[in-house]
Amino acid sequence: MNSTTLPATEVMIGLEVHVQLNTQSKLFCSCPTHPSKDIPNSATCPICLGHPGTKPVTNKQAIAAAIKLACALQGKLASELVFSRKTYFYPDLAKNFQITQYEIPLATGGKILLESGKAITLKRLHVEEDPAAIVREPACSLVDYNRSGIPLCEIVTEPCLSSPEEAREFLKKLLEIMEYLDIFHPEDTIKADTNVSIKKTNFRRVEIKNVTGFKEVERALVHEIKRQQSDAAGVVQETRGWNAEKGLTYAMRSKEDEEDYGYILEPDLPPYTLPLAWIAEIQATIPELGREKAARFVKQWKIDPTDASILASEKKLAELYERMAKEVNPILTARWMRRELLRALNSSEKTIEEINERNLLNLFTLLDKKAITDAIGQELMKKIIIEGIDPQQYVKQHQLGKVNDLSELTNLCKEAITENPKAVEDYKQGEPKAFQALVGSVMKKTKGKGDPKIINETLKGMLR
Amino acid sequence: MRSMITEWIQDLRQGASAEEKVAKLLEELQKSNMEDHYLNAICKEQAIAAARAVDKKVKSKQQLGKLAGIPISVKDCLCVKGVESTAGSKMLKGYHPLFDATAVERCRNQDAIIIGKTSQDEFGFGGFSVNVGKDYQIPKNPVDSERSCGGSSGGAAGLTKKANIPALAESTGGSIVNPAAFCGVYGLCPTYGRVSRYGLIDYASSLDKIGPMATSIEDAALLMEIIAGHDNKDATSSTTLVDYYTTSISKGVKKLKLGIVKEAFPDNSEVESHVWKSIKKLEAAGSTYQEISLPKNAAYGIPAYYIIAMSEASTNLAKLCGMRYGMQEKIEGDYNTYFTKVRSNFGQEAKRRILLGTFARMAGYRDAYYLKALSVRKMLQEEYAKAFKDVDVIITPTMPIVAPKFSEISKLTPLQHYQMDVLTVGPNLAGLPHLSIPSGTLRKMPVGMMAIAPPWMEKRLIQLGGVL
Repeated sequence: MNSTTLPATEVMIGLEVHVQLNTQSKLFCSCPTHPSKDIPNSATCPICLGHPGTKPVTNKQAIAAAIKLACALQGKLASELVFSRKTYFYPDLAKNFQITQYEIPLATGGKILLESGKAITLKRLHVEEDPAAIVREPACSLVDYNRSGIPLCEIVTEPCLSSPEEAREFLKKLLEIMEYLDIFHPEDTIKADTNVSIKKTNFRRVEIKNVTGFKEVERALVHEIKRQQSDAAGVVQETRGWNAEKGLTYAMRSKEDEEDYGYILEPDLPPYTLPLAWIAEIQATIPELGREKAARFVKQWKIDPTDASILASEKKLAELYERMAKEVNPILTARWMRRELLRALNSSEKTIEEINERNLLNLFTLLDKKAITDAIGQELMKKIIIEGIDPQQYVKQHQLGKVNDLSELTNLCKEAITENPKAVEDYKQGEPKAFQALVGSVMKKTKGKGDPKIINETLKGMLR
Repeated sequence: MRSMITEWIQDLRQGASAEEKVAKLLEELQKSNMEDHYLNAICKEQAIAAARAVDKKVKSKQQLGKLAGIPISVKDCLCVKGVESTAGSKMLKGYHPLFDATAVERCRNQDAIIIGKTSQDEFGFGGFSVNVGKDYQIPKNPVDSERSCGGSSGGAAGLTKKANIPALAESTGGSIVNPAAFCGVYGLCPTYGRVSRYGLIDYASSLDKIGPMATSIEDAALLMEIIAGHDNKDATSSTTLVDYYTTSISKGVKKLKLGIVKEAFPDNSEVESHVWKSIKKLEAAGSTYQEISLPKNAAYGIPAYYIIAMSEASTNLAKLCGMRYGMQEKIEGDYNTYFTKVRSNFGQEAKRRILLGTFARMAGYRDAYYLKALSVRKMLQEEYAKAFKDVDVIITPTMPIVAPKFSEISKLTPLQHYQMDVLTVGPNLAGLPHLSIPSGTLRKMPVGMMAIAPPWMEKRLIQLGGVL
């Protein structure tokens, strides 16, 4: 999806990202965030329904998670936790005001580094409650308050992203970090409001509200930039929505119609001084993050930087790699995990947790000892993931060990030359592909078990 | 006046039936309420069941709570589980809370009998209980039915005076001491954070406080002792330890230094001279007094109070839109049309405060009004703190007048109405404990003296009340 051929200086993108923090209970009451049964309005209480008389009490776990993120992103923490009320009327808002942070966010500044080394600087990070979910039905709209009061963390960037691809990478990196910090539930979604402007309109700011998922954010931005380029004169400062089905942004409201939220300090939640000891305690739980881990992998295990960066992008994958690397050839393991393991996981929709590590380790050992061919290795990887086989036993049972008996392979090479006169002719005419066809033919005869090195040398000798 | 609670419990110990006593009381109240309108709801079945449970406890010689069998009234803005709780507003008609307010729960844990919900200005918006919500009746002063009970806890004070029933009341800008003074009972408004606000239907969350009313200082002290203390359901409730208020009364007061606020005694009125009589009594009992001045509070108390209170109120009332509880209308048009239709059921004063409060916090105005008022509030708190370096208790009349006639109130503009709070908004804005003490009568109408103490010094006020 190549969006723009525009140079980096021509586009300005800023993101306001909303991610759910993976606490057990909601931000201001003890209702569960992931109820065991997915029944609308089952995880509610008078507090998250906004019943008169109820009062919010802050969930410290949520604040701890946000502090952890703020520290990992190198933001500057406020000395006090201060909440504000953002008042507007909408049916998804139980109190018709949202408890959020306005004057004093939990943290300011911080950054995320992209692969290119570019730093995306952050304006602020704050905590707020999610409104309820509105379910549109043909005849009516229904409100599900299970979402009402779910803790969200909002991360606002400076408008320093210069392409939709960067926006997507930023969001991926953010999720990667949150996953490392163990503060994000993989089933939960990431939402973003984005503002985007181009030089052609003198950077007139257009906001796109409420886009779900990082791929959609990229799509919406690609579309919006195209729209602005094709009709620069018609671009006005406004808020737009994103129709994912049609792949279009549409006008929602102009600047004049911007709502006035009449912020006040939340009087039910007095400012809370964040204890330094608590912050230190949280900081101590921040693990080595993906970027640092990748750099260490290159240094410690001498693996390819791309392999390292891909393996470190997912915490569980990185941890699995390190366990393997300690036992068997780390370079071979890195290459096989990055390519074959991820491919097998993707096509089978299995997760890392489902893998029998012992079997995986056996496979890498077989490969390292050159006891099987790469082709057999690829087959075995699929079977390990899908069927859970033990490769060592399986190789024995099915006699899949590498064939390196010279006389047997020589016979098979002779057969292949006799059976493929055209390929032989082509090879002699200087067609290298024809040689590969002959190798393939011998390989087939060995059912993938033939040592490719011996086959190559034998064939070359015969055709000289 | 002797402690009603002590007498009532003695009766029970001597064999009287709580059920019979409560049933008789409720019957009387049902009749008298047609005239005086102190109660928005009478919880007959709940009360009788609770009284029966007390009788059982007495019979089986189980340990009795400190309020065993005692009838207590609860201001309508405090949630009582299963009992319609409307804060005097048509907007909350039909709202039956799923929980008890913490203060109510603590009384129940001491075997109190909740007899009903007392009438008030809608959401506490007024000082004369004439701003009752649509379809509600205005409570009448128990001494003179042509006069107001005061407000906003008017029903609570009226019923306390008339039927000698202790009350749980609530104050935002003076709503406990004002009606207490107008009806001639004790009204104690504690330090902000002393009593949990959980279950209180908010007026202005940073100002709302729950406190007792009673005909004796002993009963007020006992009720305070029961409801005070930290509650993890209210983030603004304090962990400061609670004093033993009841046992401190008999010990009397040491020599206290009283600060008489110059600005609160401007014109040698009859009310002022009644309050002076009480001050002289305290002097005779060993205290000394000196004049002090609180000019900033006198000048800026009312505007700062009303801006903060209305700003918060306008957000607190936003939730009332006919979607989840309370008043509903026929569903027509989009949500905006529907909300607007439902919200037309607010009374006039509520509408005025929502509009003014929304204005004061709007972009472009919030700096000049809302944020400015917050900084003024700090300044006024500092003025009190400074004054308390020299004196132990600050004294003013509770109200500058006796309870006015309804005919007089109807002539007041909204601004004149707000100015009636001139003496009470100060301690309320500063979150300081204050007590209205009955100080004689003026042509039958009660006069109240207000004593203000530093934070968490409710005990000092109670001891002072015990001297008079």
